[in-house]
Amino acid sequence: MNRSTRARLRAPLVVWIAGTIVAGAVAIGHTWADALIAEVVTVVLGGAYYLLSASHSDIGDIYAHREDERQHVVAMKARSVACVVMIAAAFVSAVYAVAANKNYWQADVIASLGGLSYFLTLLFSGARDGEPGPSSEGMMAARRPGERVSESEDSTSG
Amino acid sequence: MKNRVREERGLRELSQAELAAGLGVSRQTVIAIESGRYSPSLPLAFRIARFFAVPVDMMFDPEEEVAQ
Repeated sequence: MNRSTRARLRAPLVVWIAGTIVAGAVAIGHTWADALIAEVVTVVLGGAYYLLSASHSDIGDIYAHREDERQHVVAMKARSVACVVMIAAAFVSAVYAVAANKNYWQADVIASLGGLSYFLTLLFSGARDGEPGPSSEGMMAARRPGERVSESEDSTSG
Repeated sequence: MKNRVREERGLRELSQAELAAGLGVSRQTVIAIESGRYSPSLPLAFRIARFFAVPVDMMFDPEEEVAQ
């Protein structure tokens, strides 16, 4: 199995594993027939992902993990929108469950985890991005007043 | 950001697919850059400039927006 086939199999494998776990839960809580239907849907969905990853489109390249920098940005935007939609859905579910006097902790957990992961990503990514490099202030301090910028330095400045 | 990618590619009679293969990006990305819908990162901008052997500031003009 070559590298590209392995990369193409990653998304279907995630679908197959997650779907099989769901089918297992269905088998425990419901009937074997329902579990079989869930597993069939999972296999078909995974197969669709695999076939889609063969196409040379943005979606195909992203599913096959051969995306370039623009497609990486497209994938990040899609993930961002998906997260916002999921948190909004969890919020609506939580509000509905509270109003209907039903169990609301599941929706509460999803919304809280979403908010927390957003905050932690901001915190840690922001901290890494903000690490000081060789600042212009430091370079100016190292240079004597009136000293000319050398040719090699000048050429890097643009 | 306006760029000369389409013009330089035309001068060399390259297809978008050939340019994409040369740059190691998808054809859709070449289309997006040429139409001005996507501004490449600095590394990709330098790769494009090197590919065409043109200075990067001649290849990309940040002052001018592409007319859609």
